[in-house]
Amino acid sequence: MIETYLLHLFIIACLYVILTTSLNLAIGYTGLLNLGHIAFYAIGAYTSSLLALNFGVPFWIGALAGATLAAIVGYLLSYPTIKLKGDYLALGTLGFSIIVESVLKNWVSLTRGPLGLPGIPKPSIFGFAIDTIPKYALFGLILAVLVYIVLEIVVRSPFGRVLQAIRDDEMAAKTLGKDTFNAKAKALALSAFIAAIGGSYYAHYVTFIDPTFFSILETILIFSMVIVGGTASMLGSVAGAVLLTLLPEPLRFLPFPSSIIGGMRQALYALLLVLVIRWRPQGLIGENTFKKFKNGVKR
Amino acid sequence: MAVLSQLIANGLIAGSIYALMAAGFSMMFSIQRFMNIAHGATYVVGAFSAYLFAKIIGWPFWIAFPIAIAVATLLGILINHIVFEPLQKEKDKNLALLLASFGMFLLIESIILMIFGADVKSFGLPVERGMDILGAIITPLQLIIIITAPVVFIGIWLFLKKTLVGKALRATSDNTVIAATMGINIRAMTFISTGLGSALAGLAGILVALEQNLEHSMGMSAILKGLTAAIVGGIGNVPAAILGGYLIGLAENLGIWYLPSGYKDAISFVILIIFLLFRPQGFFGMKKREEVAE
Repeated sequence: MIETYLLHLFIIACLYVILTTSLNLAIGYTGLLNLGHIAFYAIGAYTSSLLALNFGVPFWIGALAGATLAAIVGYLLSYPTIKLKGDYLALGTLGFSIIVESVLKNWVSLTRGPLGLPGIPKPSIFGFAIDTIPKYALFGLILAVLVYIVLEIVVRSPFGRVLQAIRDDEMAAKTLGKDTFNAKAKALALSAFIAAIGGSYYAHYVTFIDPTFFSILETILIFSMVIVGGTASMLGSVAGAVLLTLLPEPLRFLPFPSSIIGGMRQALYALLLVLVIRWRPQGLIGENTFKKFKNGVKR
Repeated sequence: MAVLSQLIANGLIAGSIYALMAAGFSMMFSIQRFMNIAHGATYVVGAFSAYLFAKIIGWPFWIAFPIAIAVATLLGILINHIVFEPLQKEKDKNLALLLASFGMFLLIESIILMIFGADVKSFGLPVERGMDILGAIITPLQLIIIITAPVVFIGIWLFLKKTLVGKALRATSDNTVIAATMGINIRAMTFISTGLGSALAGLAGILVALEQNLEHSMGMSAILKGLTAAIVGGIGNVPAAILGGYLIGLAENLGIWYLPSGYKDAISFVILIIFLLFRPQGFFGMKKREEVAE
């Protein structure tokens, strides 16, 4: 029993590692304050669930389809939004995620709206059924490590350095002949692709999804994980994801109704977010998100 | 015809609330220059303190409501002083403040949830028969909302245009550095704009609480609508934000003529994104495009 609970936490932690590291690619490395990350996650979850439920499509094809769709949406989203500056970009992407949530709620003939999608099959990859909790935990571990390695390679590649150059001084990157728009759009697409894989991973684990899973509160949670862990550090995101997954768990055992416990969890995330921004903007491990630049040199 | 006037009436009711939120938000933005999401929490606190004083403790409305507004005002000033002021010094302060205000919003919302619980509350005022005004059915409470908002707005407009403090506020909003050299106390201006803005949010919260229900989660949609209204009107410009509020309220309610009503929330965000793209300075705004986009 206790093993199952711990493994469940592990599975959830792997999910958040996938979501935070991919969000960090956009925020920390590229400097895109994307408040719409959860929409990509939702697109992944719904696409692979619907494909599996309606057409019996195997998990990995559904997940790739969802991820590709999310990447395309992410790429397209960058056309209208990427020219917006900092906080306006945040608003634009937030608007996007609320529109997606609203479509999930209202396109009842496809998504069943607020009723959600029950009975999503557990995945089976090349005949190997991932149907028990320990198997799923192993699957999560493999997926999270894979995502981590891919992202670590990307941010260290020449492409990753272009992204960081854009973040630090877009004009300078442009002067050096870098196609900054294209680089940002690709970063957003990759970030969306990975988030969508996280969505499929989660949907096929819990086997039931509804639009409330993809609300703005979830966005803030992932955001807190990135900021608390430290931006522009993949390791920081892993730390943030694991820490914020585990930290509120003891609250579960307090003798209060679940809604109050929910409030406590939220208060804990919010408090951490504010404290970190106020007193340790670099997070646990990472660079100062709001760092001061003078003449292009980091102080 | 009756449907149209009903939708317009609903649009005006919603618009009044959005306009109050947008006016407060914009007033704070005009001085502090950041998107204060915690403004939505001030609104919730206004509503719940009114509920606490009037319904739970049982004070008469005329005592309870001013005190509730005062509580909201103090809260707004306090958060600004403790959390936001120090962050103003960061280079990339817009992002730091946006996220910090999101954090404060969630923190306050969850504290309210812990104190009052998750169930929906209401003042339980007797439901009165609506009056038929040009084919639209409007209850007396709704009429109060429709009338209160413009009265407040005229007050704000007179304050900003005619009084010395109002002029100082507008000068600071135009150019902080020059305003400071002319001897305007910028910190005092911050204090006044935060206080007034928060009071407006508190008032909006109370009006909604009276007419509808109270929920701890009511703040998010209110601040998002207020913010959208402020941007659509022209951010940092209080009268423009007010008009933006009515615009959003009407657009949402007239939009459900064509769309399923579930899309109500999406309508305002589609409008927001369209404005961010094509007219980031807002409908009436004079703000330069460069401040929003490249």
